[in-house]
Amino acid sequence: MLPNSLTMPPDSQKTESTPRGLLRAAFTRAAFGIAATATIMGSAMPAAAQSGDPIRELTLISRAQAANPQQFQAAELIAQAWRQLGLDVQVQGMPRPQQSDAVWYNRDTWDLTMWQMVGRPERSDPDELIYNLFHSTTMEKGYNFVGYMNPEYDKIAEKQRVTANRADRKVLIDQLQDIVNEDQVYAFLVHPLQTYAFDKTVWDASSTVVQPGLGIKNFWTFSGIKPLGGQKDMILNSSDELNAINPFYISGATDSWITELVWDRMMRIGPTGLAEPWAAKSVQWADDAKSVTVTLRDGMKWHDGKPVTIDDVVFSFTAPVKYAPMYKPFVSGIANIEVLDSSTVRFDLAEPNAAFETSTLAKINLAPKHIWEPLLANLGEGENAESVLETSRIGSGPFKFNRWATQQEVVLDANKGHWAAPNMERWILRIVLNVEATLGMLRSGELNFLSDYTGDPALLMEAANADGDLDVVESVDIGFQYVAFNLRRPPFDDAAFRRALSAAINRELIRKAAYNGFAVNANSVVSPALSFWHKAGIDKELPVGMDLAKSILKDAGYVIKGGKLHYPAGMSEKLGK
Amino acid sequence: MAYFLKRFAHMIFVLWAVATILFVMFRTMPGTPLAAFIDNTTTAEQQDALIRQFGLDKSFGEQYWLFLSNLMQGDLGQSFFFKKPVVEVVMEVFPNSVILTLTSLTVAYLFGIVAGAYLSWRRGSWVEGLGIPAVLMTRAAPEFWLGMVLLAFFSFHLGWLPSGGANSSGSDWSSGWERVTSLDYLSHLALPAITLAIYLQGLPLLLMRSNMLNVLQEEFITMARMKGLSTWTIVMRHAARNALLPVATAFALGIGGAVGGNVVVETVFSWPGIGRLLVNAVASSDYPLAQGAFLMITAVLVVMNFIADVSYHLLDPRVRVATR
Repeated sequence: MLPNSLTMPPDSQKTESTPRGLLRAAFTRAAFGIAATATIMGSAMPAAAQSGDPIRELTLISRAQAANPQQFQAAELIAQAWRQLGLDVQVQGMPRPQQSDAVWYNRDTWDLTMWQMVGRPERSDPDELIYNLFHSTTMEKGYNFVGYMNPEYDKIAEKQRVTANRADRKVLIDQLQDIVNEDQVYAFLVHPLQTYAFDKTVWDASSTVVQPGLGIKNFWTFSGIKPLGGQKDMILNSSDELNAINPFYISGATDSWITELVWDRMMRIGPTGLAEPWAAKSVQWADDAKSVTVTLRDGMKWHDGKPVTIDDVVFSFTAPVKYAPMYKPFVSGIANIEVLDSSTVRFDLAEPNAAFETSTLAKINLAPKHIWEPLLANLGEGENAESVLETSRIGSGPFKFNRWATQQEVVLDANKGHWAAPNMERWILRIVLNVEATLGMLRSGELNFLSDYTGDPALLMEAANADGDLDVVESVDIGFQYVAFNLRRPPFDDAAFRRALSAAINRELIRKAAYNGFAVNANSVVSPALSFWHKAGIDKELPVGMDLAKSILKDAGYVIKGGKLHYPAGMSEKLGK
Repeated sequence: MAYFLKRFAHMIFVLWAVATILFVMFRTMPGTPLAAFIDNTTTAEQQDALIRQFGLDKSFGEQYWLFLSNLMQGDLGQSFFFKKPVVEVVMEVFPNSVILTLTSLTVAYLFGIVAGAYLSWRRGSWVEGLGIPAVLMTRAAPEFWLGMVLLAFFSFHLGWLPSGGANSSGSDWSSGWERVTSLDYLSHLALPAITLAIYLQGLPLLLMRSNMLNVLQEEFITMARMKGLSTWTIVMRHAARNALLPVATAFALGIGGAVGGNVVVETVFSWPGIGRLLVNAVASSDYPLAQGAFLMITAVLVVMNFIADVSYHLLDPRVRVATR
């Protein structure tokens, strides 16, 4: 054990509330780290004889500093902490395509990477992340890019899918969260806070809807928000260039905001985070949970005036099998679709699926058969629905597509004939690349709803205070930031090693320094925003601290020799240069 | 005539060389075009479908042959990202880039020529002592910084001018011409054009000044002074006309250089333009679009170079004699 004099100063946590305190704490830590390393170098000598090879130099991949300053800063802080464990860690900033190329397409080549999962409405059900991120079937090419394989986890993850009773399923979801915590498959960092703002002199603040994990920027706010005066156009912003507006293809976060407004779905994820009937009048499950009968609302019309028929519904759920690779996984559980009458259809499932409402009925866009069927019939070799540029964008949703000017704006008109007709006149999405300019535009009225803000939240707060007309709304994200270990490569295949590395990370420092306090600590793929599914207090179940990290490593047989961390006895480094 | 043909063949060769270099460059760049899509699509079959769809399963030689033969027919291929023909995507924003470039270049050159001529006349005075460092400073100031300062002052502080985009949100226009001649468009154009003009004026100003200093030594200027002509007449009517030729060349080349080089200004002011298109295309490995945008910029540059050479040839008898 380390001498007592080297344990962390007990007040270091408390002094961090001010910027100066934060700095002081960082310095104390750094100084402490040097002292600790020096002492270990001396005290660990006797154990030297039983150690394996020194651990190779490790590279922690991150987005480039300019592209994602928070992530890069977190990476730097993490590398600093790990160096105190005797590891040789370098942070390497990369553009996203390059990072994806290394991490996603060359899965054997990387060691450590900063990564994130973003919040989406359909991720309001824990299944998408719980299953896809860690199930062994997605290891080779899917979401399980870290290469986690645990038969016990697989079994429970499959079981929760077929457990229809919510309370029973919750027990299983909790178990899965425990396993992920126990194994520290990821070193979770934070769930960022989403910050959005709007002009409260233009929009009635009481008519906004907060959806857990998504904040006020969601379908319900857009369809229900009330204008207070003459300005009836909502002008929002996106900092990404837009790629596609297509009911069978989501090419990025921003176009999914548009598709959900233009195309209806049988169900929608409600403000509670649960799926509720939308284009469906009713959704009836059979007792064995293997089939569900859905009745379409009466009098629905496409934007071109043609009626929405049951054939359109069947088409929308069958076309993805052959033509829409992105949506295929969400309809692959449907064994058969039976038309019962002119407005009713029954989905027979291959096996019971608890997430069917969220992942299928609330996900698949209803697309007009009369427009899409001829287009899909004439596809060339290697083409699918994603390669089709259908410019009318006819749907049946509460907003109609008006136009899209590349690099400038997308204009949607309110569909006054819809059963849930919006109160606004037009929904105008401006592409604004300059983060500082978005704040100025919000204050000048060039924007009246800030829907995409990647800058410093403190600056937004300042602007709102100075302006007086702005309402800023924060909420915890469904998504999260984390460090991914490549479990295919030692020493990351050792759970104890991962646990030690995770314990060494000072999440409080990262939360305050890198995220300016606009984040909550994370230790699960299920965000606290999903209050029902999140295992309460799981972020406290990971004991942390530099001393603890060192003792975990020591107990697992790792040895620090000459200031460098070595494998346990008998293990050699096979991956070094 | 032979000169023109030779010069023309030269231009075609340069375009071909650039097209080939671009083709090779984008395919040897790290990263795959699939990477831009993985956030959403992930399964193996989806990836294979994408590869086929993008023609990436064909051999390098085959891809090159296809690229060249399509290029001859003016077909730059299909953008991976927008699923539209590259020509269509490029042409949608190209007019904005040209308008921004021409406006700012014209302002910059008019100012540069007059100010350059004036500074040369006042050589050695306090005007020059202040003027030259001021010009060098604005020339050296980063565009994004200049842009942000102007934005903060004219847009956020005074509220005189809009802060981004090319038109007010949701505005409707019956034609493209009506759109770009509207007050709305021009008020959006003002800040980016001024930013760019401030950045660009250094070159014509300094060029004009040094040419003028040479011309002012000539005998016909002494003659003009002896005739008792006014300073303005001597500087502007006699000396400046003779010093203008290299500046005109720089203007032609400036058009080519600036059309694609405005990415910083386009980003700061969210101005739709070809520079932004290019950066986005490169970041997402959209080969056809990046190639197309680059080629378009190169073509403008090479053609402008050609025009400059040829016009020089026509304007200045001395050049004509030398190339004979």
